[in-house]
Amino acid sequence: MWETLRNLFDEYMGTGLIVIFFVISLIYLWVQEKRKYIRILFVYVPVILLCLFFQPLFAKLVYNTAGREIYYRLLWLLPVTVTIAFAAVTLYLRLSGKRKIVFALAAAGMIMASGSFIYRNPYFQKAENFYHVPDCVVHICDAIVAPGREVMAVFPLELVQYVRQYEPTICMPYGREMTVESWYYFQSDLLNEMERDVINLDRLAPLAKEKGCHYIILSEDKKMNGSPEKYGWEVFERMDGYVIYRDTEIILEIPADHS
Amino acid sequence: MIAVKLLISAFYLLVMPVAAGSIFRVRESSRTGNLVFQWVGGQIFLWACFQLLCVPMILLEADFAWVRVCYSVFLALVMALAVVLRVRRKKKRVVAVTPIRGFDRKNAAGYILWVIFFALLLLQLVQAVRMTYRDGDDAFYVAVSSITQDAQTMYRKLPYTGFTTELDVRHGLAPFPIWIAYLAEMTDVRAVSMAHVILPVVLIAMTYGIFYLLGDVLIPEKEEGLPLFLIFTELLVLFGDYSFYTPENFMIARSRQGKAALGNIVIPMLWLLLLLLFRRLKQGKKIPLGYYVLFVATALTGCLCSTLGAMLICVLAGVAGLCAAIVYRRWKILIPLALCCLPNVCYTVLYFVLE
Repeated sequence: MWETLRNLFDEYMGTGLIVIFFVISLIYLWVQEKRKYIRILFVYVPVILLCLFFQPLFAKLVYNTAGREIYYRLLWLLPVTVTIAFAAVTLYLRLSGKRKIVFALAAAGMIMASGSFIYRNPYFQKAENFYHVPDCVVHICDAIVAPGREVMAVFPLELVQYVRQYEPTICMPYGREMTVESWYYFQSDLLNEMERDVINLDRLAPLAKEKGCHYIILSEDKKMNGSPEKYGWEVFERMDGYVIYRDTEIILEIPADHS
Repeated sequence: MIAVKLLISAFYLLVMPVAAGSIFRVRESSRTGNLVFQWVGGQIFLWACFQLLCVPMILLEADFAWVRVCYSVFLALVMALAVVLRVRRKKKRVVAVTPIRGFDRKNAAGYILWVIFFALLLLQLVQAVRMTYRDGDDAFYVAVSSITQDAQTMYRKLPYTGFTTELDVRHGLAPFPIWIAYLAEMTDVRAVSMAHVILPVVLIAMTYGIFYLLGDVLIPEKEEGLPLFLIFTELLVLFGDYSFYTPENFMIARSRQGKAALGNIVIPMLWLLLLLLFRRLKQGKKIPLGYYVLFVATALTGCLCSTLGAMLICVLAGVAGLCAAIVYRRWKILIPLALCCLPNVCYTVLYFVLE
C-alpha cells in the first residue's frame, strides 16, 4: 500500500521541484509567520493532510468507498499554489532595494523552470470552431441529423468522444467507453471490424445492420473488401476525409410534423 | 445575435451572482466586502440553491423543464430581493462596494505588477476561447449537458451512446452538467459552446478572484505584495503542466467539468472561509450568521461539483477545525463546523443508500 501511495504522490507532484518548493515554503512559514490563524491553515493543516494521505487505513477506507482511481484528489486539499506564492511574497516583502527585484525574478524563473508551459501540452490544440469539437464532426453530424428523431450512426474511434457533445440526437452503438483501457477496451465486435486496416464488409455490414445503424462513417483512406451496394449501402456524402454511407435497408422515418 | 447571447450569459454569470452576493454580505472588513467577494460568494450561494433544487427533481425523474422553471423563479426572487436591499442601503447611505485593494497608480512598481497580472489573466482567458483541450471525460459531462438541453431528461440516457437507461444516481447527485444545461437553455447557446467556451472564461476568472481574496487576507502590504502574489499563482498555474492531476491543470484544461470547479473554486473558497473564521476567533469577534450561510453553501457546492466533493469538504473542515480547536482551546467551534458539514454527510449517506 505504501508503495502505491508513494507512486500516486509522485505522479501528482510530477518533476518533484514543486514538492521541494512547497516543503521549503511550509518550513519558511513555520519559522517566520507569527499569525496563528495562518500557521494553522498553511502549516499545520497541510502537514496533517499529508500524513492522512499516506495513512494506509485511511487510504483503504477511501479506496473502498470512493474508488482508488480518485484517491489522488485528496491532495487537492493541499494549498500548494497559494502556500508557495504566499511564502515567496512574504520573503520578497522582507527584502529591500534591488534585492527585491532580483528575488522576484529568480522566484518567477524557478517556478517557470519547475514545470512546463501548459499550452505546450499536446492535448491542447487550436479550436476549429465555437463548439471546440473538430470541424469534421460538426459537418458530418449536420449532414446526417434527422429532424424530430434520433439516428443511429457508427463512427471511427477517433471521433466518438465528440459526436454526442455536439449533437445528442445522434446515437452510437459504442462510444468513448471503448477507448479506456480499464473499462471496455475494444470489447465490441463492431468496433473491431470498424478499426481494421482493411474493412471486411462481409463482417462489418451485418454487425452494423444488427445494431440498427442508419449511417456508417469510414475514413476515406480505409481500403474495403466487398461491395457496399451488396449490403444496401449507398454513399450519402463525402466530407473532410470521411465517407458517410447510408444503409438504405434500415428505415429512417421522419415524423410527420417535421417532414 | 451572438452579442445578445453573450450579454445574457454575462447577466447569468456576473450580474446575478453579484446581486445574490449583495444580499449575504459577509463583511469581515472593508477588504473582503468588495465586488469580487460578492461575485464569488453569490455564485457559490446560487450553486448551492441549484443543488438543493435539482437533486430531488433528478431523483424523482422529473423533466428538466421543472428545474428550469423553478430555478428561474428562484433567481427572479433573488434579483428582486437584491434590488430592494440595494435601494434601502442607498437610502441609508451604506457603501455596498469597496474598490479593489492594492491598485494604486502612484506606486510605479505596484502599477507594473498589476498590469502584468491582468496581462497574464487576459492571456489565459483568450486561450480558453482560442484553444481546446481534448479530454475524454467531456464525452460524458458535456454530453450530459447536451442531452439535458435537447431531450429535457436528466441522467436517464447514456451519454456515450444515447440509449435510454435507468437513473444514473451516482452522477445525478452532483448535477454540475445540469447547471450548464440550464445556462445553455436560458441563453439559447448550445450546451457544448457554453461548456467549452463561455464557462471556462468565467470560471478561470473566478478562481483568480478567490486567489485575490486569499491574498488580500494573507498579505498585509497590498501595493506590491498582492499583485506579486497573484502573478506567482498565475505562473504556478501556467507552468503547472508537470502533472496531469493537479487542480491547476484541471482549471486550465477542463474548467467545464464539475471536478475542476471543486478543486479551483470550492476548495480555495473553503480555505478563504476558514481563514476568515480563524482570524475572527483570534480577534474574539462574533461570527455573523451570513458567514455560516456561505460556509454551508460552499459545502453544498462541493456536492454539486463532484460526489467526492462531499467527502473532501468534510475532511478539510474537520482537520482545520480540530487544529483551530486545539490551538485556540475553543472546542465549541467544532459544533457549528460539524453542522455546516451536515448536508455533505446527508449526500454521502444518500449516495450509499441509492447506490
